[in-house]
Amino acid sequence: MRDLMYLNYFENLLQEANNELIGQAKKDGKICVAYVCENTPEPLMNLGNAFGIRLHAPNTGSMDIATYYMTSFLCETTRALLERAIEGGFNFADCVIAPDGCTMINRCVENMELLGTMGKGNEKFFHEYMEIPLKADDNGVELLILQCKNHILKPLHEKYGIDVSDAAIRKAVEEHNRVCRVITEIGKFRKEEKPRITGYEFHILTLATYVMPQYLIIDKLEDTLEEIKTREPDDKKYRARLAVVGSEVDDSGFIKLIEETGAYVCADRFCFGSLPGRMEIELNDEEDALTQVCRHYVYHGECPRMFNMEKVYGRKAYVNDIATEYGADGIIYEQIKFCDPWAYEKLLGSTMLREDYNFPVLAVDRPYNISSSVGQMRTRVQAFVESIEIKKIQGGAKKWRLR
Amino acid sequence: MAFAVNDKKRVGEKQLGVLFNEGKVRRRREWRGIKDTLYDYGRWLYLLSILARVIIKPRNVKAMFRYRWFANYLAVPHMMDKFTMGLRDEPLRIVHTAMDFVVKDVATCIDNSIKGDRRTGNNVKYSDKCVLWDENAMTAAMMGFPTLNCILREVPTMFSANLLNQHSGLHYLDVAQQFGIPGDVCPMPEAELGVSIDDDFPVLGKCAVQVNTTCDGSLMGNGLIAKRLEREYGIPTFQLVAPMRHTEEDVQKYAANDIKKAIAFIEEQTGEKWDWTHYFECAKRVNQTTRNRVAWLEINSTPYPQFIGATFSLYNDTNYMGNCGRFPIFAEIDKKIMKYVTHGYKNKTMMAPEYRHRCIVWGVQPQYIIDMLNWMVHCWGVVPLTDMLSMVISEEIAEEDTPENREQAYYDMAWLTMNMIMRNHTHGGYKVLVDELWEYCEKMNADMVMMWEHMSCKALTGMHGQFEEQARERGINLVWVCHDLADPRVFPRQAIRDQFNQYMRTVMREEPLDPTIEVLPDNNAW
Repeated sequence: MRDLMYLNYFENLLQEANNELIGQAKKDGKICVAYVCENTPEPLMNLGNAFGIRLHAPNTGSMDIATYYMTSFLCETTRALLERAIEGGFNFADCVIAPDGCTMINRCVENMELLGTMGKGNEKFFHEYMEIPLKADDNGVELLILQCKNHILKPLHEKYGIDVSDAAIRKAVEEHNRVCRVITEIGKFRKEEKPRITGYEFHILTLATYVMPQYLIIDKLEDTLEEIKTREPDDKKYRARLAVVGSEVDDSGFIKLIEETGAYVCADRFCFGSLPGRMEIELNDEEDALTQVCRHYVYHGECPRMFNMEKVYGRKAYVNDIATEYGADGIIYEQIKFCDPWAYEKLLGSTMLREDYNFPVLAVDRPYNISSSVGQMRTRVQAFVESIEIKKIQGGAKKWRLR
Repeated sequence: MAFAVNDKKRVGEKQLGVLFNEGKVRRRREWRGIKDTLYDYGRWLYLLSILARVIIKPRNVKAMFRYRWFANYLAVPHMMDKFTMGLRDEPLRIVHTAMDFVVKDVATCIDNSIKGDRRTGNNVKYSDKCVLWDENAMTAAMMGFPTLNCILREVPTMFSANLLNQHSGLHYLDVAQQFGIPGDVCPMPEAELGVSIDDDFPVLGKCAVQVNTTCDGSLMGNGLIAKRLEREYGIPTFQLVAPMRHTEEDVQKYAANDIKKAIAFIEEQTGEKWDWTHYFECAKRVNQTTRNRVAWLEINSTPYPQFIGATFSLYNDTNYMGNCGRFPIFAEIDKKIMKYVTHGYKNKTMMAPEYRHRCIVWGVQPQYIIDMLNWMVHCWGVVPLTDMLSMVISEEIAEEDTPENREQAYYDMAWLTMNMIMRNHTHGGYKVLVDELWEYCEKMNADMVMMWEHMSCKALTGMHGQFEEQARERGINLVWVCHDLADPRVFPRQAIRDQFNQYMRTVMREEPLDPTIEVLPDNNAW
């Protein structure tokens, strides 16, 4: 396929956490709200003069200092983020909002705070820690509303004078939905027999919406959507269509590696992914916007920390739904090394998707930066793709849900 | 060097190393002088009688052949010998009073579990009056259900079994890992999950309640266990939330609301009604427990601590978490312990010839070397004044039955649940984990911290560097002792003791009080 006009542009920007668009937004006089977890309602960090940036640490190499502070048993994402913070890579942030979503990300941000890694010379700088609901119910919605008021809206308003009114939230949701709409529309092309966009390209575009000021990239995303509409797909058949499910993936190299084996990543159910991260938030006029935003995050979130059984079973049903909708032949359950929540979720998810929903499943753990373990991962994925091909040849499609 | 020297003549064995060989049990019983040896032997016989009363029942014999974990309880007398090593006078009596009761409590739990178990006892009527309760949780929300039995089935299968036999959890860890759980997660919920995967839990109860306490591993293991309970055994489960940031005002209502839901769930499943009179009776006992524990800690702040070590911790576990004021018998045991503690303090009773260091034990203790704290006293004269697991609540809850207090009670139950043993420090932000440690050091006049670094406990190791740097700044001797909680293959017992030995010799430049126990040949022991 012909290269997408802005792909190289986005790829280059993604090489640095402190990308030039963040600098541009800061020059525009905007306030950068850094956050670290999908459970933080994103539109609330894009209110008024603020823009939200989800922290990531591209091209991470050594994590020695962070390993000293948190030992080698903590998840590599958290160590990579702490290492980058210690190196000064997140100095663009004007505050950090961290949910106590999982223990390790909480410890990561606490270390950032105790080590004074950010906010030097900025008296207004603050760290806030939020409690995130553990169950999807109305009690959880009530909690999240209170947490957002106390730990996002109040400090943003008091420290930086950000407009946190209902009207401002509605405007932020509208802008958020505009981004979601574009990404969702682009994502739908993945359902095609001969898709007009690769999983890797899609991940680059989606990732950009999390780690760059959205108002500076929305026009390029919309142009890309128009470009894809008329793009000629390659005349090739992929060996297998795969849905990738699991913990956060901010390293597009992982998706690229999967596709280099001849597979196609047709669905992305992970943090920094589009399902359900780029689902639009529907607002009505009867209820205040904050309540509706919080309800959306509580009920549509797919984070494994939600442990009521409706959610536990619902997460597997959701994976089944998207795998079916996007025509997946198999599912890769991935977990970042040393991540406790996904270690367990991967086990139950891979078992249920295999036994209850008849999908071939590969369960793998992976490093934060895939370049440190390319060979191993490629072998695992290749073997999985081959096993799917063999199932197809042997008529396994009757048992397994293969196309 | 010593801050307290024992001026009383030590009766009986002076070099405790003579008790050890490579065997599963000690070479012989310890000689403690006529009076204490007879007392200890009498209690030993009492323990055997507790075990005999359990095993004499045919259903329990059947269970011993059905459940792999059951046979570990043959090692109970040996476990007690580990706790009482080197003790005389009041400390010996305190340990026996507390631990014998813990043993009795666990034995009752086993007996009750088997009674209702569908595979062995199969007493359906009894089972219908049982609620399975998460072991890693306070039983506060059962305080108003006097007619229901709260069964913590993970206690006998995993938690206490590992205190008895260091190898008890290995099979279940292997089962969980063969199923796909990585080896880096906490072995406790992992082994509990292994028991479930292996279908080795007794199956009973009208319903079950799980809680997210302790850690992400514990939270996540629940889903897999609940799936088996619900889908294979038809036992509905409720997930009770305990917010992470338990010190914050803005999470209390959330937690209290979920307590209400849990109670409603139990009422609906069992047909029983919440009894406020019974709840407030229990609340009074919880407060009495708190007052007693605070008093014991105050005595431990003096030069003559009495109720210390793993016994203190395990007794608190049982009394707060498993009991939570529900059984009046605990109050009697508390009284007996208080009598011995007060006598010991007045008599300036010491456990070793001298005390050199006052130590706070922080972090999560390894189950399979639970006697390490007692060993520290006898080998190095380091007194473990208290440990992180024992530093639970210090405030009292509402205990008078009034309309206002009935609403407050939900907040109190939620507060007890959130502040459960261990998680009240490992979760809730660095202030409760790191800052409070230094406060306790000051309050209890400690000059040393022994840091159990449970390598798979991510809440704890996530603050490794902070502990190290802040201890250095404060001039506190910080001894790292790394372990893997329930898996002695990763850190054998002597490897754990050696970390302490090396610190004492190289950093503190001290010689042991009793060099015969610096290296113990107990790798093969239960």
